[in-house]
Amino acid sequence: MIPEDVAFLPIREIARHLAARDFTAVELVELYLERIARLNETAKAFITVTDATARERAARIDRGVADGATPAPLAGIPFAVKDLIDVAGVKTTAGSRVLADNVAQGNAFLVDRMLDAGAVVLGKANLHEFAYGATGENSVYGTAVNAYDPGRLAGGSSSGPAAAVAFGLVPAAFGTDTGGSTRAPAALCGLVGLKPTIGRISTSGVIPYCWSLDHIGLIARSVGDAALLLQTVAGHDPQDPGCAGEPNGDYTSRLDDGVSGLRVGVPHGFYFEHCDEEILAAAQAVLAHLEDLGATVVAVDLPSMEHARTVSLTLQMPEALSYHTRYLAERGALYGDDLRAGLALGQCLLAEHYVRARRMLTRYREETSDVLRKVDVIVTPATPTVAPPVGSTSVTTAGKTEAVGNAITRYTTFFNMSGHPAVTVPSGLHSTGLPMGVQVVGRNFDEATLLRVAAAIEAGDRFRVRPPRLDHCPRPG
Amino acid sequence: MEKVTKETLRRVIAQLAAFPWRDEEVDELVAPRMGIITGFQDLLVDLETLRQRDLGATPPAQSPRKDPAPE
Repeated sequence: MIPEDVAFLPIREIARHLAARDFTAVELVELYLERIARLNETAKAFITVTDATARERAARIDRGVADGATPAPLAGIPFAVKDLIDVAGVKTTAGSRVLADNVAQGNAFLVDRMLDAGAVVLGKANLHEFAYGATGENSVYGTAVNAYDPGRLAGGSSSGPAAAVAFGLVPAAFGTDTGGSTRAPAALCGLVGLKPTIGRISTSGVIPYCWSLDHIGLIARSVGDAALLLQTVAGHDPQDPGCAGEPNGDYTSRLDDGVSGLRVGVPHGFYFEHCDEEILAAAQAVLAHLEDLGATVVAVDLPSMEHARTVSLTLQMPEALSYHTRYLAERGALYGDDLRAGLALGQCLLAEHYVRARRMLTRYREETSDVLRKVDVIVTPATPTVAPPVGSTSVTTAGKTEAVGNAITRYTTFFNMSGHPAVTVPSGLHSTGLPMGVQVVGRNFDEATLLRVAAAIEAGDRFRVRPPRLDHCPRPG
Repeated sequence: MEKVTKETLRRVIAQLAAFPWRDEEVDELVAPRMGIITGFQDLLVDLETLRQRDLGATPPAQSPRKDPAPE
């Protein structure tokens, strides 16, 4: 019997235990499957659990090890994918009744890369319908909740991946990030959320929401795990016209090099306004910590956020409508009301509006890259608020009232437009007992430096977030 | 700029797109209740401000290039 706390170990430690034969891949899979059976009713993290294939694959890995084969780098490591990401022979529902019977014919590019590395798919994780919304609320499959307080949201749209990792149902999960949909839920759940440079990870085999802003994201328990996963799934995919031609970097070997000599930019205004005081204080403590380690903190000016939401929405809804046209015609009545209204908005914008938004993206990208000529990274709070209560429609933070989804993604959404890589890392626990986080943004295709800074933050004891107690959940039988 | 009306949107949809959006979806655009769309009218006003901004010859976004290291 594997101790329960293994479920909360980072991948690199689990891999060490597997290599030392402290437990087998089958035993590890059984640990997580038992937890899913016991906790998913509360967490609502998984839509589909691929238990049979996971058991078969783990047994095959164990047989290989017994026969003396050299194990692949992630041999026996379980993972989950947001249910927009294809796994051959398994339904990809997108969290919607529209695709309730949609069985994937093949694997997404990133799933193939993970399987090639020996990892084991445990299932398909919950989400906001078709990734439309940052609350993760889902009337069909239930709303994934926060492991630190099940009355609170996990955040979205990658709500299931965040909840799955936070509840200890899987060591890591992949999501998508169109406005912060991976980074924000990771921050709200005390995890690491990485969105690499746009195009760094192929989106082949992933249901799109908005091609101009969609990124693959990943949620892990540590920065080291995030680096390992990025190393595994990044790389050129000739089948994906949006996939960058940049060669894959080395994300793992310099993680512990520290931040001495690096320049850390802190943006004025927007990113430090109307923010929870404890979250602000934690962000300031992170900056002081980086200075203590030898980094230089300097003030920077990011592009004006005045029109950022407008630009984002003007790209999102026409692109989403364009993808959904065929399903609207065939199964329009099966869509949620909020998504249908958003798609209707996409119908009523002018072509000039859309082109102008695309041109604004160019401006945002150029202006942000200009800032990153002067500094190595930019640091902001990850979210202005801790996880809001399930069912709330608005949140008021330091005098600003806004829709819950807008609040959750207020600090993350711009970097989907600029395309720069960004990672959220825990910055401690709030007095409510809920996690807080900071966001680190880096230069295009320089995820290595970004992750190095994130690792330095993670190494600060006061920023660590203990695993959730799960007092509200059933205990092991 | 005049305020957009439900009737205008109904005609735009019927004459330019012909997709049968339901009344409640068009209502959501002119009088939002769900909280995700902040209001079509507000969006149009902001887009009009953006439309008047001189972006010179800035082209629509292409794939990002690798950034140089800090100077």
